[in-house]
Amino acid sequence: MSTVQANCPACGAEVLFKKGSSVVVVCSYCNSVVARTDRGLEDLGRVAEVTDSGSPLEVGLRGVYRGTAFELTGRAQLGHAAGGMWDEWYAAFADGRWGWLAEAQGRFYMSFQAPASVHVPPFEELNVSAPVPGIPVAVPLVVAEKGDARMVAAEGEIPYKLIPGESYQYADLSGAGGVFATIDYSEEAALVFVGREVEFEELGIAATERTREREARKVASAQLSCPNCGGPLELRAPDAAERVTCPNCGSLLDINQGKLRYLTTLKFVGFKFDIPLGAVAEFEGQKMTVIGQMTRSVEFEGTRYFWQEYLLYNPAVGFRWLVQSDGHWSYVRPVPPGEVTDGDKYARFGGRRFKKFQDATARVEYVAGEFYWKVEAGEQARAVDYVNAPGMLSKETSSFGGSQEVNWSHGTYMPVRDVAKMFGVELPRPTAPVAPNQPFPHKRVYKYWALFLLVALLASLAATLFDARRKIFEQTFVLQPQPTSTPTPDAAAATPATTTTGRPRVIRLPDGRTVTIPPGGAPVISPSPGTFTGTIPTPVEGGQVIFTDAFEIAPRQNLRVTAETNVDQSYMFVGGDFINEETGLVQQFDIPVEFYSGVEGGESWTEGKKEEDVYISALPGGRYTMRLEAQWEDWKGPSEPRLTVRVEQGVARGLNPALALIAISVIPLLVAFRHFSFERKRWADSAFNPYESSDSSE
Amino acid sequence: MLTKFYLLFGGAVVAAYLAAAALGWEVGSPQRQMLPADVRNSPGGYRSFHFWHAGYRGGK
Repeated sequence: MSTVQANCPACGAEVLFKKGSSVVVVCSYCNSVVARTDRGLEDLGRVAEVTDSGSPLEVGLRGVYRGTAFELTGRAQLGHAAGGMWDEWYAAFADGRWGWLAEAQGRFYMSFQAPASVHVPPFEELNVSAPVPGIPVAVPLVVAEKGDARMVAAEGEIPYKLIPGESYQYADLSGAGGVFATIDYSEEAALVFVGREVEFEELGIAATERTREREARKVASAQLSCPNCGGPLELRAPDAAERVTCPNCGSLLDINQGKLRYLTTLKFVGFKFDIPLGAVAEFEGQKMTVIGQMTRSVEFEGTRYFWQEYLLYNPAVGFRWLVQSDGHWSYVRPVPPGEVTDGDKYARFGGRRFKKFQDATARVEYVAGEFYWKVEAGEQARAVDYVNAPGMLSKETSSFGGSQEVNWSHGTYMPVRDVAKMFGVELPRPTAPVAPNQPFPHKRVYKYWALFLLVALLASLAATLFDARRKIFEQTFVLQPQPTSTPTPDAAAATPATTTTGRPRVIRLPDGRTVTIPPGGAPVISPSPGTFTGTIPTPVEGGQVIFTDAFEIAPRQNLRVTAETNVDQSYMFVGGDFINEETGLVQQFDIPVEFYSGVEGGESWTEGKKEEDVYISALPGGRYTMRLEAQWEDWKGPSEPRLTVRVEQGVARGLNPALALIAISVIPLLVAFRHFSFERKRWADSAFNPYESSDSSE
Repeated sequence: MLTKFYLLFGGAVVAAYLAAAALGWEVGSPQRQMLPADVRNSPGGYRSFHFWHAGYRGGK
């Protein structure tokens, strides 16, 4: 690489083209931009001397980016339509490429020129937030900003023909994963530069005395005097602040290269700020200082609603916001526009979907402290909020003349007590019942519910699949029938009008027909309706006691006792006892069995079953005898009463898991009801209230 | 607070259910009694005891 030595056409001083591919060099004596052409050197005019922007970079620094060495050969300072300025550094790489390293608000963007074959839409067709096709990167890109840039100052060697004072149109594009692109409309065919946002450490630049000085200065504050009242004021972010207010007279001051200029005196609007300027608290593991306070508002149906924003600053982190609205707080950090996709109703960020909550024009009402842009009262931006508690995604679109810019930020809800504790201040309780991004406090109940249901269902499934039931006893007993019915002279007296259970009573007549006596109704004779002359038999009770042989019962297994009878139009009550012959333990159980049938109103009916069972908790292991006492009434079966008793152990039963599921579901269901009410309150003030239609129909 | 309470309550319910499944507990099991020693030792033993079930139990 050979250095070309020449003399400045303007002043005659020596200028050096150290890089073979550089196009212009700025004369370090007279600031003339000297271009080398086929016909020799050309003076393109003078540029302003670069101002100290507080950058840790400087011309001549060497670094390594992604394994390739580079040297910063030049720098340009470009003016923004909104009044701010940013640095553009030019890096000559060892492999012959040129890198454009843009620096703004402490962030760095390294990009390289894309092939000329890339075609992009004209500047006029670009819209902020809209995607731009055709850029050769792996992710979709959206327009984050479009506007005019003006060449203000420059130094060193620059790889293109820099015209002093020239303005050109540009668009910055943003994509997921920090992917970045710029479209430069300074030439007839737009130039495209693609790259990504990089951390300073990624540039592989060894710390020099200058960078160390810059870093030290970034964390130091500056003491200045107000040009309006002469009172002292402190700049807590001297390298980043563009505007500051005087704490003594309330003047809004413009900051230009460390010099203050009076702009206007602000009138206090809104509510008092509860956290003072200079207060420090720890966020994301870093101490952040409150350097700015801002009151903003939106108007709905003639009413103006205010909220407050606190600008937080840490040189290592950058800027963050703490937003207070109706006593609810959120910690807010910026988000690259390319990381967000938004639609009419939803926006997506970080794998989460956010629902649109509000769309309004936000206005700056009052500011105090320092700000990194040229803020002023009355500044407006279209603000669209999307919520997915505890997150809130905010999109702010603003215009400055012909420039447009979109800024996305993501807020995280913070309980007021946490904010108060972090800053050591007292904060008022929220005045709104629910904040747009306030998380429902009992949401974890659902997770626990799901966990409990899963465990209970798996246990129930395992019990069913591995059903260890086994029969330990079964025997059929033929019981002794009782004498036949005794005739009763007074049929009415022998026939109760109602039954003890409120169900129809069925009595079999001597001629084979049955009398059905419904509760409170007239007796019905079937199958041949008509009258009956004679006596209706009075029910006769019978009973018998049986002791079984001893059998073995295993411990820790439940028991199911089943009684099966040939009962018909009657009942059999089986009272039983397990008797431990060694310990005398007696476990009682009852099994009522009844079966009735008939025809009523032309429809047949049955009631009861001929087989019933009962479950009993596990008994201590041992030998048991069973005592069975059967009772019945008016046995009318085709044969003598028969009773089969079966005893099983280890029988899986649905009642226990069902009761467990009910028990563990009561609280979650109440929580779900409360959650619904919470969500209705959340959306009550939203212009996109999903519950509105149901409200209006009520 | 409610979440912690539910964690404890729900955990206790599930634990109780698992314990019931493991130990053979049943909800609403009928009562148990002990036969006095003198009854068991008397002639006829429990077969002659008279605290057993008796009487009308229901039906129509």
